[in-house]
Amino acid sequence: MTSVFSPPGFNFSNQSRNDFIAEKGIPMPKATSTGTTIVGCLFADGIVLGADTRATEGDIVADKNCEKIHYITESIRCCGAGTAADTEFTTALISSNMELHALSTGRKPRVVTAMTMLKQMLFRHHGNIGAALVLGGVDATGPHLFTVAPHGSTDKLPYVTMGSGSLAAMAVFESSWKPNMSRDDALQLVKDAISAGIFNDLGSGSNVDACIITASHTEMLRNVEMPNQRVEKERQYRFARGTTAWKSEEIRKLVVSEEVILLAGGDEMDTT
Amino acid sequence: MNTLVQRFSTTSAQSEINKAKALAADDQDFDDFAWGSEAGFGTIAKGVPTFSLPAVPDPRAFLRLHTDDHADPNCRIKIQHGTTTLAFRFKGGVIVAVDSRATAGSYIASGTVKKVIEINPYLLGTMAGGAADCQFWETYLGMHCRLHELRNRERISVSAASKYLSNLVYNYKGMGLSMGTMICGWDKTGPSVFYVDSDGTRLKGNLFSVGSGSTHAYGVLDQGYHWDLSDEDAQELGRRSIYAAGHRDAYSGNTCNLYHIKEDGWHFIGNYDISKMHYEGPGNVPGSENVGYGYDVRVVGRSSANPPPSAPTPVVAA
Amino acid sequence: MEHSFASPSGHPQPHQRHFNPYSENGGTILAIAGANFSVIAGDTRQSEGYSIQTRYAPKVFRLTDKAVLATNGFAADGNMFVKKVRQRLEWYRHAHSKDMPIRAIARLIQTMLYARRFFPYYVYNILGGIEEDGSGAVYSFDPVGSYEREACRAAGAAQSLVQPFLDNQIYFKNQTPAHGTSHPAHLPLDHVLELVIDSFTSATERHIEVGDGLEIYVVLAKGSTPQVLDRWQGVTEMTTTQDGERMFVIRRNLKRD
Repeated sequence: MTSVFSPPGFNFSNQSRNDFIAEKGIPMPKATSTGTTIVGCLFADGIVLGADTRATEGDIVADKNCEKIHYITESIRCCGAGTAADTEFTTALISSNMELHALSTGRKPRVVTAMTMLKQMLFRHHGNIGAALVLGGVDATGPHLFTVAPHGSTDKLPYVTMGSGSLAAMAVFESSWKPNMSRDDALQLVKDAISAGIFNDLGSGSNVDACIITASHTEMLRNVEMPNQRVEKERQYRFARGTTAWKSEEIRKLVVSEEVILLAGGDEMDTT
Repeated sequence: MNTLVQRFSTTSAQSEINKAKALAADDQDFDDFAWGSEAGFGTIAKGVPTFSLPAVPDPRAFLRLHTDDHADPNCRIKIQHGTTTLAFRFKGGVIVAVDSRATAGSYIASGTVKKVIEINPYLLGTMAGGAADCQFWETYLGMHCRLHELRNRERISVSAASKYLSNLVYNYKGMGLSMGTMICGWDKTGPSVFYVDSDGTRLKGNLFSVGSGSTHAYGVLDQGYHWDLSDEDAQELGRRSIYAAGHRDAYSGNTCNLYHIKEDGWHFIGNYDISKMHYEGPGNVPGSENVGYGYDVRVVGRSSANPPPSAPTPVVAA
Repeated sequence: MEHSFASPSGHPQPHQRHFNPYSENGGTILAIAGANFSVIAGDTRQSEGYSIQTRYAPKVFRLTDKAVLATNGFAADGNMFVKKVRQRLEWYRHAHSKDMPIRAIARLIQTMLYARRFFPYYVYNILGGIEEDGSGAVYSFDPVGSYEREACRAAGAAQSLVQPFLDNQIYFKNQTPAHGTSHPAHLPLDHVLELVIDSFTSATERHIEVGDGLEIYVVLAKGSTPQVLDRWQGVTEMTTTQDGERMFVIRRNLKRD
């Protein structure tokens, strides 16, 4: 008798088949990856997170303006790098669980809670969830900034970078980050770090997103800098009517009219 | 022991590699022949051109690693493959017809390739397999055919020319050359076609088709082939066969180039767009009814609700 | 008894690393032939993996006053190859007191590439210029030397993005002309330059390895007027001889992200 038991988590039953196919020279379909620059840093009043907005499929740009700073709670946000679907679903799931957690405890949830949920989930999946995250927020215990690697390890640091542009961005942080910076200085530093990734890392590009989280207020700065606007084309590419050849033509009327003939006696709606 | 035998043997491919290595060691670019206008063919005086080889124990494995797309679809150097070519002999000469598509993996690298190589006014070669291998060696063959003419005061026979090519590529057997070609021409014996490939095979025959689309072409060719075909019908058969391959084989297509070799040498008959042949036919050319080869024209207005009027009524046996 | 390197399972056997002298440096090149001119262009970014090695590494090179060679693939092989072609052209000049005609350069490049049939240059070449009869010419090559004369050709990282666009706009593929008209056989120079620029700005948008700068070489046949270039900014003349053909380069910026 066949088993009807299905284990929780991912289904690996096609793994060896797919390995075999890959060996035969047929590559697996590529997932959209956010070959990305994401950063976060601590400043006097809280946390600034930053991200570029390019999503790639191999060496092709899939999305020129995607959003990589994901909502966890009002005062906790998470930047995602790696497989786009994995970062989006992971942060969405944790966001749901954080909301439920907040409702059941009746308290504002803490950043460590989100961090623990994320690392436990990622560790459970042995790195099969390709999510590299920068988690930041402010809670009752103050501002916190973490990185979460795909296998579940975490770091708690005053300034962090992740993704393919992490080295370019970290170079900026290492040269200019100072403790207790002002809000404007911190935002400028994050913009510079993301710009370094955008211009020096091929996996990152387009615009800068930033998010400033303080104890009282969260400010999402979508496309705070747009240094890569599309230039105008030299020519217009409009085709004259009749350019596309066709084999046959059939015109059908989609509107069907019908005439209703009322029989003797009214059957109006009873509106009494 | 085995390696020892290989090193000192004079016939194996390994010895060819060793020879080439020795030649490559003295920089071949700086000999006297490079100074004039002989281009790379300056080496003709030495007999066979020389090739540089990577300094690795097994250059063949190196080449396979970097160029062979069966071993590794992601390899960087893509050599063009995929073709349909055909040639056949009949009372009126030789018909040579080819498609014009070059593919690199699944990408159509070109749709305007000349797969018929005009060796000289009396000889044609076709191109299947590595485009560079065919172009280079058939050009090289052309030079030797001319030398033969100068030495012997008469044109080289198709048989001799094809054998020359066959012997040339046999020297490089196992080193990764890839060519499947038909050497066609008209000599003292009349029209003749020889199939030569990089494995060293050389076959004389009436009718050949080479390439990934050859099975499709053979289907039409075998069905319509006859020694006593008229010139027009023979040309139409060549065109129709390449169309069939271009239509059904993804690695063949775009256009068909048609040549006819007669006693006075080859003639270029025309270039025909395969999509156009499907919808409209090859145009107003002799031998053609000038209707689309596609079956659209045979089913237009017909359906199960509207059977052909002349359909015979089935007779039920008592 | 024979000694062998075979060891009990679990212990690593002596293992030979693959010899890999090739790399891939991204970028895209493109050439279009007109009736009496030829345009050869390439971006100037050189990259490896996700890193930019330099934002200005030319991929398009002047060979003579009527021939330009664009190379793409592995930059080291490309530069070496151009160097060797130039050397051979100089030898030809010394031997014949004239520049080699472009169709002869094309054949020269074939034999030079094929000489490395068993250790190929990892380079895709496009040769553009003016033929002896004054017509614009483009020759494209594969890494081992097969070549063909064409009206236009794109190669490199964004080949599969640019070539379909060119097929549509130059060869008018999939475009049926309006009734009673036909498509032009050759396009005028400023139209071609616009197509080249749009090809590269579009490739820059969607391909991560294309960007930074654009170099467009324009070769004009004898007797044609360079006035059409007046509307373009950043034009530099490169002509060195009095043969009649004139060569210009147009430099433009592309997005740097």
